[in-house]
Amino acid sequence: MKNKSFYLILVLIGLIMGFILAVQFRMTSNIAQNESPSIDRPIALAQELDKAKESRDEQQKKVDSLRGQLDQAAGGPELARVKEELDRARKEAGLTELRGSGVEVTLNDSNNVLQPGENPNFYVLHDGDVLSILNELKAAGAKAISINDQRLISTSEVRCIGPTILVNKNQRLSPPFVIYALGNPETLANALKMKGGVVESLQIWGIQVDVKKVDKVVMPPYSGGLVFDYAKPSK
Amino acid sequence: MPKKNTAYLSIMLVTAFMGLMLAVQFRAANRAPGGIPTDRAKEMMTELKQVNHERDNLTKEINDLTYKLNQLNKGRTEALNALNSELGKVRMLAGLVTVTGPGIEVVLDNPENGGKTTSPELSFIQDQDLLGLVNELWGSGAEAISINGQRIIATTEIRLAAPFININTTRVVPPYQVLAIGSPDSMANALELPGGLVEYYRDIGFQVTVEKHDDLTIPAYAAR
Repeated sequence: MKNKSFYLILVLIGLIMGFILAVQFRMTSNIAQNESPSIDRPIALAQELDKAKESRDEQQKKVDSLRGQLDQAAGGPELARVKEELDRARKEAGLTELRGSGVEVTLNDSNNVLQPGENPNFYVLHDGDVLSILNELKAAGAKAISINDQRLISTSEVRCIGPTILVNKNQRLSPPFVIYALGNPETLANALKMKGGVVESLQIWGIQVDVKKVDKVVMPPYSGGLVFDYAKPSK
Repeated sequence: MPKKNTAYLSIMLVTAFMGLMLAVQFRAANRAPGGIPTDRAKEMMTELKQVNHERDNLTKEINDLTYKLNQLNKGRTEALNALNSELGKVRMLAGLVTVTGPGIEVVLDNPENGGKTTSPELSFIQDQDLLGLVNELWGSGAEAISINGQRIIATTEIRLAAPFININTTRVVPPYQVLAIGSPDSMANALELPGGLVEYYRDIGFQVTVEKHDDLTIPAYAAR
């Protein structure tokens, strides 16, 4: 009688073990299948990306120096007039370095401690927040704007990708975001800090906004390519 | 007695084996969430594509500039032509010339008879809506944009000065006609994708139409 219950226990243990073995086997084989491509691919992509960025930066430098050479190239007096116009157009397009006074705006995600059940989405920076700050600066008369050393021109977009921001189609920026704007420091700072203004509405969510007036702002030039595949000047 | 001994032995073996398995299982389970999600690969792929595209653009720019530099040394007329061509391109980027080309037309209007809700924030188009639309269009490759005839340039603001919106310090009123030159397909797709801007505007109650055109004309920025 005692022996019999003992065997019963053994059988039970055997059954449980078999079950665990089966589960274990399926899990490990599952992991092995999923893991190898998803780890290898991002690493391979990261290497590709680094290479691509390196050659992009090289070419950007080349474009900068070629634009400089074009400016310096000798020419008669009839060329001087065109060059002058070219200079002016470049300034308006954002292809030249500019200096002057302005404001510095630093943006970072909220430092609020999230309560359980709250939507974390409310407390991180969104592209819309950055857009409305840029818009406010433009409305207050900013002559030029850069964000994390990327000059913003007419065709620049601001896009959120996870915690980072993509601007000028190919430049990924990570927080904190430092925006410089060239213009009257008083006007620019007041426009942002105005009651019911952008800064106040962002601070409701605890998003960290810091506005500082600066005497010396160095605005980097836009150094991307100027390629128009669709638009043509009308005759 | 010997029978009982072997039984203990087998139980010991079994428990030892089980312990080992538990350990393996635990480690495997621990590692699983640490694996890199496929999203990351997707994200990187997108970025790689964009960086490569910009690199191609830069290569075109280098060829163009090198050609112009060579022309400068050839003679007076060649030099003048080269500089004028560069001037034209820069003025186009600055938004100082009227441009034509294929693109899309987006018309955005306030909801009919006041919309679904009484809250003014939800019943008429605000500056944020137009800002988002313009941003999305630049992001999907627009080369020139205007709203109700106002060219959008680097310093253009789109600002609510209730009940109107000011663009380039000029008052514009609905319906807002947004013109964008660029690839009609990629711009329309970006706006109309599920969960995209057009769906969002329709959900709020705005009237939206998106139309592709072969030939659009976008006016130059009128300097004041």
